[in-house]
Amino acid sequence: MKQFISLMTAVTLGASLYAGEVMVKGSDTLLNLVQRLAEEFSTVQPDVTVSVAGGGSGVGINALINGECAIANASRAIKSKEISSARANGVNPTQIVIAIDALSVIVNSNNPITKLTIAQLGAIYRGEITNWNQVGGPNKRIVLYGRQPSSGTFVFFREEVVKGEYATSMRQMNGNAQIIEGVKADEGGIGYVGLGYIKDADGFKPLALAKNEGDEYVAPTDEAQVKGGRYPLTRPLFQYTNGKPKGTVRSFIEFELSPAGQQIVKNEGFLPVTSDYAEQNSAVLQ
Amino acid sequence: MRNRPIIVLAVMALVMTALALDPGQTEFEHNGWFRYTNQSHSFKVTDPNVNRFTLERGYFRLSHQWSSMFSTKFTLDFHSSDKYAEGATVRLKEAYADLALPFLKDFKFTAGLQKHYFGLIYSWDYTHPDKSLADDRGVCASADYGLTVNGFLPAGFGEVQLGVYNGEGYKYAGKYVNASPEWLGNLRLTPFPGVMVGFSAFTNASDMSLYKNDKKGRITDGTNLLFMNADTANTGRFALAPVARVAFGPFSLTGEYIAYDYTRKFSYYTINRDSTGQVTDSTLVTKTKDYRQSGIDLMPQVTLASRKLEVYGRFSTWERKEQSGDSLPVNQSASFTRYGAGFNYHFIRRANGKPGLEFQLAWIREQSQKAGTDPKDTFMAQMRFEWNAVVQGL
Repeated sequence: MKQFISLMTAVTLGASLYAGEVMVKGSDTLLNLVQRLAEEFSTVQPDVTVSVAGGGSGVGINALINGECAIANASRAIKSKEISSARANGVNPTQIVIAIDALSVIVNSNNPITKLTIAQLGAIYRGEITNWNQVGGPNKRIVLYGRQPSSGTFVFFREEVVKGEYATSMRQMNGNAQIIEGVKADEGGIGYVGLGYIKDADGFKPLALAKNEGDEYVAPTDEAQVKGGRYPLTRPLFQYTNGKPKGTVRSFIEFELSPAGQQIVKNEGFLPVTSDYAEQNSAVLQ
Repeated sequence: MRNRPIIVLAVMALVMTALALDPGQTEFEHNGWFRYTNQSHSFKVTDPNVNRFTLERGYFRLSHQWSSMFSTKFTLDFHSSDKYAEGATVRLKEAYADLALPFLKDFKFTAGLQKHYFGLIYSWDYTHPDKSLADDRGVCASADYGLTVNGFLPAGFGEVQLGVYNGEGYKYAGKYVNASPEWLGNLRLTPFPGVMVGFSAFTNASDMSLYKNDKKGRITDGTNLLFMNADTANTGRFALAPVARVAFGPFSLTGEYIAYDYTRKFSYYTINRDSTGQVTDSTLVTKTKDYRQSGIDLMPQVTLASRKLEVYGRFSTWERKEQSGDSLPVNQSASFTRYGAGFNYHFIRRANGKPGLEFQLAWIREQSQKAGTDPKDTFMAQMRFEWNAVVQGL
């Protein structure tokens, strides 16, 4: 009877529970990273095919709930409503952190401003501070660049920094590269991009950030400080499975968290998992 | 090449895949259910008493996310109807505003014409093309005007709703809504993945929805034809519905028990006649009659072929007791057992997992408790489509 149920589950869920294929779906932020990890994993375990699809964190989580994928990539934490829906469907979403993303706030190279607090940044993006001279800079109108609402980065920045609604004047760009191009061409511009995009910065520069007035300002290029959790704009990047991962799914996740996998994480412009998340992951993979 | 190819499906993250709107976004959604219905007695499908094609539902929905805290939704239902000369009608199904509660995470306040959070009715997704039991038996409507606080418990442990409604349902908004509100509470818990248990209850001192026209307002009492006054109502309405669902892999079993009690208050004029049959005068009479109804609804389901195929069964019972003197005998004509089965084939599913284009076929047999009644067989074949589009910046 148990074998029958397992077979029916494997056949009907189509979630690649049988050895040989792992379907991963979700966040576009994680798409390239997990694709690279999958490519490297295939050299380690050539009998396993890892299929990676984007569509957004919500699409991935929904696919996990419906049994259409084995791993959901998510650049945000799963919501209570999604957990409730998952559990009602017999799915137990289990969280693993595979990388850390840091957001850099960038300004034009000609802007003398080098640092801001999170509070100042929030006021700027809410449209309450509209001129650089209000934060010690030149007399120049601030031009806001940000992501589009469907982006997890848009949501993260709004929740962590803006803590309200974005100013309606913010220019919504479809990706990190476009934000950089906008800021490079605009001396009044300010934008936020992933850590991997500030390497070899040309025409723009990252700002050091402090959580509060009086705190130490930390530059996103200071790897030790960022890894030590002292940079205020970091977020974990998640993968969700149905219960504790098993079989080929577990093998792939263990590879992602291995030194080789975490090196790929760094090469792709993200940060490796910090010790506190590593501890959480260990509890899941026990 | 030794390396296995990695299949990368770079699905464009277009706004078409919206699961929740972002500020400034507007979602358009359209559902259409094109249905063939054949109803006969004892499988005499070539001699049916119902044989028709209809547009059973035609929802048009408009949702707008004003900010991260505030959204609105509006739904019209265009569908076939023989109540009007043109063969179709439109009704307002939803029109409400949601306000996220800043002090209570994952909770919102909803005002307007909204879901009626009772039993399985509000989450009925028409996997089975027929209605939920509460909807079918007139316990309550699927939507009503009201105010609710609703939300999700931490860690996905469940959901809870508390609300106050008109109590007459979405079809009544004017003179057939009385001053007596309906109070409702609903709780669903998922203590373990795959197990959901819940409980709903509502109470309403009286409603007025049943007596909106003379045809329904006439009853006979002996030789007298009685005309009900407009203040006739169902009073002391109380309903409760424990619900449960078990899901494991492709299998699930969903069920509910409904108990619904009320007292119908009649206020009517008797026509008095003399010995020659001439009408002499009329007398205002007030009478009450207790009703006690209960039923169960069970639906097992299995999902196959990567969710392209759903196969389900259904078993329902309904018993209606009506006061007669000092007793509450069963009204056998209004009591029944139903069972049936069906399947859905999904040609297309939307990115959010909901149906895009599906074919549904269902058979339902209803056996009345009244002795000597032939069973009623209903076949429904339906093509159902749903699409949505999200636009930024309207």
